[in-house]
Amino acid sequence: MALNLSSSLLLRRTQPITEDEFRKLRDFIYEKCGIWIDEKRKYLLENRFGSRLKELGLSTFSDYISLLSHGQNKEKELATLYELVTTNETSLFRDTKQLDGFMANVLAPLIVEQKQKNKLELNIWSAGCSSGEEPYTLAIMLHEHMGPEIKRWRVSITAIDISPAMIAKCKEGVYSDYAFKTTPEAIKKKYFVPAPGGLKVHPSAAGVINFQVMNLNDVAALKRIPKSHVVFCRNVIIYFDEAMKKKAIAAFYDNLLPGGVLMLGHSETLHNISSAFKPKFIAGAVAYQKM
Amino acid sequence: MSTIQISELKPGKVVAANVTTADGRVLLAKGGKVEPWHLNLFQGLGIKSLEVEDSQEDRCIQEAADYVVDFFAYVNPDHPVMGELYNFAVDLVALRLGQGWTVPSLAERRAKNVENLSDVFSPDIVSPEKIAKHDVELSSFPEVYFKLREAIDSPATSVGRLAELVSQDMSLVAKLLKLANSPLYGLDQPIESIQRAIAIIGVKELSILALGMSAINYFKGIPPELIDMKTFWRHSISCGIFAKILAKTLGESHAERFFIAGLLHDAGRLILFKEMPYASSEAMIFARENVLPLVEAEQATFGFTHTMVSEHLLREWKFPPALSDLINHHHSPMAAPNPRDAAIIHVADVMANALGIAAGQMYVIPPFDEQAWDLLGIPAQGVQRICSDYEIQEENTLEVFS
Repeated sequence: MALNLSSSLLLRRTQPITEDEFRKLRDFIYEKCGIWIDEKRKYLLENRFGSRLKELGLSTFSDYISLLSHGQNKEKELATLYELVTTNETSLFRDTKQLDGFMANVLAPLIVEQKQKNKLELNIWSAGCSSGEEPYTLAIMLHEHMGPEIKRWRVSITAIDISPAMIAKCKEGVYSDYAFKTTPEAIKKKYFVPAPGGLKVHPSAAGVINFQVMNLNDVAALKRIPKSHVVFCRNVIIYFDEAMKKKAIAAFYDNLLPGGVLMLGHSETLHNISSAFKPKFIAGAVAYQKM
Repeated sequence: MSTIQISELKPGKVVAANVTTADGRVLLAKGGKVEPWHLNLFQGLGIKSLEVEDSQEDRCIQEAADYVVDFFAYVNPDHPVMGELYNFAVDLVALRLGQGWTVPSLAERRAKNVENLSDVFSPDIVSPEKIAKHDVELSSFPEVYFKLREAIDSPATSVGRLAELVSQDMSLVAKLLKLANSPLYGLDQPIESIQRAIAIIGVKELSILALGMSAINYFKGIPPELIDMKTFWRHSISCGIFAKILAKTLGESHAERFFIAGLLHDAGRLILFKEMPYASSEAMIFARENVLPLVEAEQATFGFTHTMVSEHLLREWKFPPALSDLINHHHSPMAAPNPRDAAIIHVADVMANALGIAAGQMYVIPPFDEQAWDLLGIPAQGVQRICSDYEIQEENTLEVFS
């Protein structure tokens, strides 16, 4: 079967990036968000940013790098850069099994313990919250678990993301059908109201969350986050190199209260990164407890 | 609608706007068809380009190109071999589109709707050694296959002896009889004996069948949206065929050895699917979400890759080292004891990935080692012929597995 329909199509669709430009852009990205783009991913980077160059009408990667470093709209472009280097695939109640395991084996005992101590206080940090699905899910789960009693508690979920665009989306709290694929129907009815573009989180559930633009690379800023009982950081550190992983995990460690728990994504591990946590195998998940 | 240079214009195209002379006289009205004599006329009048309606074929090619380009995100777009493979892959996809195929949506490609929650996985507790050693049953995987191969390769073997070997494996017997009785062979009489079935299907095909059979159970825990057995085997067979063609092109006398290595190049992945279905699914989702080759995603997710698993596995299976090296180094040919031989499997894998796009394979093409390609000394223009040869052989070989 010889076809030869199209044999002259060009595979290259973007500006080529030079070695020097690649190194500069790679280092810039690493410095700004701690994500290390390996040499192997050079063409991938060229590909993703090549389309951005076209949109901006720039002819070389050097032009783009100078725009990022000293352009008038560099802050705005930085936000686009974050979008390009991170994936924001997530949904409400993503990984239900892990969440259920967390609820039953970590949060429920913690609530009992706090009550016994007569400290009706609960702090959760959602690090790398993307478009907000995770903190909203946690807020809803807490409401479900505690019922009206939650009003007597001081519950706070601090949700941070590097991308201003994502945090804006978080604050808006509107999700399309796709985000609800694993959300129980009853929850959907109870906590969401119709809004243009989908369903909006009910303010009663949203009230406990404090959204902030923050970089996991910015150690000073991270110190402002209230000390937490639980840190959620799922599917974030997998994008980091080892140095940056260690840095982020150290920040979580510093932030956690004694005995506090770190929850990672399924394919992430503290193996070779930190021995300051004790992995606890709970139904559906691994919880890393601060020792 | 698109703009076409006059030098590329062919009769039969329909113009999407009036073709006029410099002073505005209409030569061919919008909607008119270009006739052969128009070509000289237009050129004579100094018309450089014109607007034409896209034909069905143009649209298919455009759609195919936009779809296929994504799979080449990870490789050097300026390398001539990649250019050739890209064009071939586009042709195949365009052909399928013309036959009514719809390309998978972006959500499907990025595996957005896969919920994968069967078990807890912690990378802390796994290592390639453990995985390879874990399952005793696994060591029987190639047993029938290797006994069969040994028997097949020996001139003294009778069909009776082969039938005896086959009958040790019930599922193989069932599959064999089913295949022999399929319309493919168009026989009037039902085939009820293993001997007759072997005689009909062919001795060589029998061993491939045995190999394919053993893999079915390996996919139980894997969501089919991520990979199914058919796609996996298609890729394995494709790699085998490419390896054989490349080996023959290079004048290798034992081209069959490369076929086997190609067929088994992802054996480590099979074990991962079986032993760590949950983690494997995580890796596959990670690859799809981030447009990464699966081998990269494995490294990020497990801290090792399928070739490190096959390294231990093949040692357990007592594979001849020369064959194991080809398999274990298909992503790192230059580090193999015999880089040129490993390069054959490496290139075959890349080619199989590229041509698999039209068959629905969803992972981006893994890194292509340009040095390994140079080692083969095949000119880039040779890729066209290799792909065409492949197309012919693929149909014949795949039938055996269907």
